[in-house]
Amino acid sequence: MVRVLIADDSETILLLMRTRLEMAGYEVDTAADGQEVVERWQHGDPAGLPDILLLDAMMPRKSGIDALRELREMGVETPALIVSAHQDATDANAPGELEVSGYLNKPIDFERLLDRIAELTTDRV
Amino acid sequence: MAVIGVGRFIQQRQDFEDAIARSYQVEMQARERLAAGEGSQLTRATVAREAKRRSDLRDEISSDTRDTALLVAAGLIAGLTGALLLFSGLISSMRRPLEELVDAAGRLAAGDRGARVEVGGLSETATLGAAFNEMADELEREASQRDQLDRLKDEFVLTASHELRSPLTSVQGFAELLMLDRDSLTPKQAETVEIILDNCRHLVRLLNDLLDLARSDAGRLAITPQPTEVAPLIEDVVRTMRAQTEGMNQQLTREIEPDLPLIHAEGDRIRQILVNLLTNAHEYSPEGASIEVTARVVDAEVEISVTDNGPGIPENQLQHIFERFVRGDAGLTQRVGGTGLGLAISKSLVELHGGTIAAESTPGIGSTFSIRLPAAGQAPGTDSDRTTAEAS
Repeated sequence: MVRVLIADDSETILLLMRTRLEMAGYEVDTAADGQEVVERWQHGDPAGLPDILLLDAMMPRKSGIDALRELREMGVETPALIVSAHQDATDANAPGELEVSGYLNKPIDFERLLDRIAELTTDRV
Repeated sequence: MAVIGVGRFIQQRQDFEDAIARSYQVEMQARERLAAGEGSQLTRATVAREAKRRSDLRDEISSDTRDTALLVAAGLIAGLTGALLLFSGLISSMRRPLEELVDAAGRLAAGDRGARVEVGGLSETATLGAAFNEMADELEREASQRDQLDRLKDEFVLTASHELRSPLTSVQGFAELLMLDRDSLTPKQAETVEIILDNCRHLVRLLNDLLDLARSDAGRLAITPQPTEVAPLIEDVVRTMRAQTEGMNQQLTREIEPDLPLIHAEGDRIRQILVNLLTNAHEYSPEGASIEVTARVVDAEVEISVTDNGPGIPENQLQHIFERFVRGDAGLTQRVGGTGLGLAISKSLVELHGGTIAAESTPGIGSTFSIRLPAAGQAPGTDSDRTTAEAS
């Protein structure tokens, strides 16, 4: 089963995304900020590392952008989608060189999100 | 010198008059003595000498007068020359600061907030220069305050848009979740959830529009234009709009000239503009109305028009149609769900592409909104990213 790690500082949004993704048949893990995401790789995760990341661009402690930058520096190549409350990457202050699989705006278009996740994880199952 | 000359002339004239008067006096005394029979040979000689003396004095004074006149003339010439020199020196010492002042005022008017003059020279021009600099300082202070306010406004819009989006995501997301299991809802419940979703979409549109306008104002509305085909864009937008127009039995047709040149544009933004124009035509026209999209070449530009046979727009509203939050009467009274920002944003976007937008309308007959975009071959600033001009 494909494991998705979602990071967002809003519990409501985590609940919403978890519900939609579980309905679509994914195994879902959640994190409250970017630091928790990085720690999954630093300390290992008994349940196994995620196959794809859904990161909120702006979070307290560590943003999704910063977390992804650290992971890339650590050599982690897991595909990542940045979910931004802003309309585009420019507003999310995402550097162009960051290896991002895509950007999604809030409110989330779940059909598009599920399509993207499916595309990015087909060869991983 | 002239004064000295004139002074000397007066003094000489006085001396001359005195000398003549003395001479007459001496001669008269001599003549009286001769008349009284007291005169001698010497007395006669005195009479003759005084006459001669006066004659000499007259010769002398006339030559002196000539000298003095020359002196006065020379003095006058020298004085005038000096005054001229002094005056031209004064003029030239004023001219440079004044020219500098004119130059600085021009630069200030052209937007160079740092334009100042060097304060120096005569006290009058120095005062003028100092006053100018003081005024420029004040303008700069005000401009920087305005800039700061603009920045705060942009930040506010960005932050508000961000903060509003999160709860909106939840509301819309959970409402959609309910609709996924629509069969378990009663018709009344399903209708209620539809209303929630409609309003969510409206709020999202409003937020997106506000954000676009804030970006445009801040000069940060950016497009990445590239050679773009017009026909597929129109087909795509017409397809998207069809569900809505069919819902009101409106005829949505298109007429695209064959072999249109490519336009230099960002496809998504042109789509956004066309959706705005078509949404307006759809929402402001009654059931059964016809809406036509045409595309043709006009003067080496591609013109895309959206024409409807709806109620039309009165002249007094048409003038302000591209301003923010200006909506037709129908927008205020009927079912129309627009934000009042669509045309303002469309205008910004069209202009960002180096194009123009226009509206024509005849009340009772219908309206036409047209955009003209430069063909890809002769677009300004080809292939480089473009951003709105810095808002002034």
